[in-house]
Amino acid sequence: MQEEETHIIEIEKIKDSLQAQIITGNNIPNKFITGVYASDLMSDVLAYGKSGSILLTGLNSQQVAISAYMAEFKAIVLLRGKIPNDDIKKFAEGKNIIVLSTQADMYEACVKIANIKGEVPVIKEVEKPVSKAKNITEHSFKIDGQDFASAGMVSTQIKAILKSIGYDSKLIRRIAISTYEAEMNVVMHAKKADVVLKASDEMIKVSIKDEGKGIKNIELAMKEGYTTATEEQRALGFGAGMGLPNIKKNSDKLNIESEVNKGTLIKIYFFVR
Amino acid sequence: MQDESCKHLWKITNIKPCFIINEFCYKCKKNTTYFSLEERPPIERYQEGEHFWNTLGYDQSIRFDLQCKKCGKLVKMEELAGLMMCTGCEDNCKVYSLMKELEKERTWVYVAFGFLPFDETKQLDKEQISVLEDYFNQRRKSSTSKIKIVSGDLIENFSLCYGNIIKDVDMLSSKPPEN
Amino acid sequence: MKLKELIDKFELKALTNIEDTHIKGVYLSDMLSDVMSRAESGSLWMTIQTHKNIVSVANLIDLSAIIITNGKNVPDGTIELANRFYVNILSSPLPTYELAIKLVEAGVK
Ligand SMILES: [Zn+2]
Ligand SMILES: [Zn+2]
Repeated sequence: MQEEETHIIEIEKIKDSLQAQIITGNNIPNKFITGVYASDLMSDVLAYGKSGSILLTGLNSQQVAISAYMAEFKAIVLLRGKIPNDDIKKFAEGKNIIVLSTQADMYEACVKIANIKGEVPVIKEVEKPVSKAKNITEHSFKIDGQDFASAGMVSTQIKAILKSIGYDSKLIRRIAISTYEAEMNVVMHAKKADVVLKASDEMIKVSIKDEGKGIKNIELAMKEGYTTATEEQRALGFGAGMGLPNIKKNSDKLNIESEVNKGTLIKIYFFVR
Repeated sequence: MQDESCKHLWKITNIKPCFIINEFCYKCKKNTTYFSLEERPPIERYQEGEHFWNTLGYDQSIRFDLQCKKCGKLVKMEELAGLMMCTGCEDNCKVYSLMKELEKERTWVYVAFGFLPFDETKQLDKEQISVLEDYFNQRRKSSTSKIKIVSGDLIENFSLCYGNIIKDVDMLSSKPPEN
Repeated sequence: MKLKELIDKFELKALTNIEDTHIKGVYLSDMLSDVMSRAESGSLWMTIQTHKNIVSVANLIDLSAIIITNGKNVPDGTIELANRFYVNILSSPLPTYELAIKLVEAGVK
């Protein structure tokens, strides 16, 4: 594998160069980031963002904070003077995500961050010893369709559970992203779903069983950028199945069973190595 | 100061992010759209008199007004739900006929449409349409092409039109963008 | 800078027919409403959106080109529409930020 170049930038310097204000995370020690990612599309952030990065975005929504957490971003810069609401602040504070707000737009912010000189010495993260769960642990959750207020909360809980067990952080990130995609699918397209998390020292399995429109053509839905024919159909729920390519990409094994007008059962497997 | 002789130079103002919500009544089959300035799209089923409204979908969009940089004249665009680029459709579509005519001189036709149902809501008036057209053409300073904006009234059946509506699809979702 | 010069310099892939033009600034956003209300005419627009809608916006504001970042696949429908409306679409395998800072270093404003 090719070694990737990491740039370390102190958040204080980003704050100064963007004339930004710190909204949350003022008391977090070692405020530095190891990468920059600029995007307004959270699917993109989940698919391509690297952990430890700072996210530059013009989108001011709870999904931004949740996506940043799932993709293990260290900080978020809200562009063009956007100020997050209390829900976002609370979420970010609870997850130790630093949120800044600046008047700059995306290009201006990129230019200014690129011009920050003087890198701080690379601080190597100490690999934590992986302590695997000895016994199988099982947790179950419920997701309500159309409940946008709680969208992302089940995957947030799953991530917290896996963290407390002590799995490898890269593995947790893959699980969190896959679960989040699946959860959003339920919120947008299904009535409700039951989620079961099974974690052992060999494998982690997340299964999501929803009641909803189902997926007509799973093969087609697995293709990236899959679309349904018309806007109307999409509005009526035939867009279900989006996000599957990203789940597949992040998991070791994916199993989908679906019946149109009944629902879908997605089983996502991750091997603990 | 509003000056009747002013050759207005428009700028965009009062930009507010919002959602455009599409609701459908299962009882009377009426289809409505409206703007919501809430932080989250209000997705709900509710009863309103004889209607049973269900959310069909929503997209992120913006509201804005236009103001003259010179004389300060403000033209509100409250009735504007969106802009649609005509990409050609049925031969009897009035917008398409106009487009075929104007395409030769590289003038592109956009439809400024109001909220659904079109026959019950106030659509944009002539002044709003022409101000909108002037605004975009003024913004395209050195351009070799032009914009023509027409009213949504020209379209007989909106759901049959192949035009391309400018809006942010799926911004809040984690799914790959629609292709 | 001219568009064709930019294509060579940054190894961009042209996905549509290219009409050479002057680049007058850079605009980054994945929100169409944002571009519609704020981007300057003649700008180079970098985004990961590949929906047909991007053509309607680029044409309305008369942007010099759209660069699709992250090497994202652009659907044929979008390319066809862009060719019909003389909208230039380019592609780069780099993420938006990485490409943006290369432009900065090269002095594209
Ligand atoms: Zn005036
Ligand atoms: Zn038409």
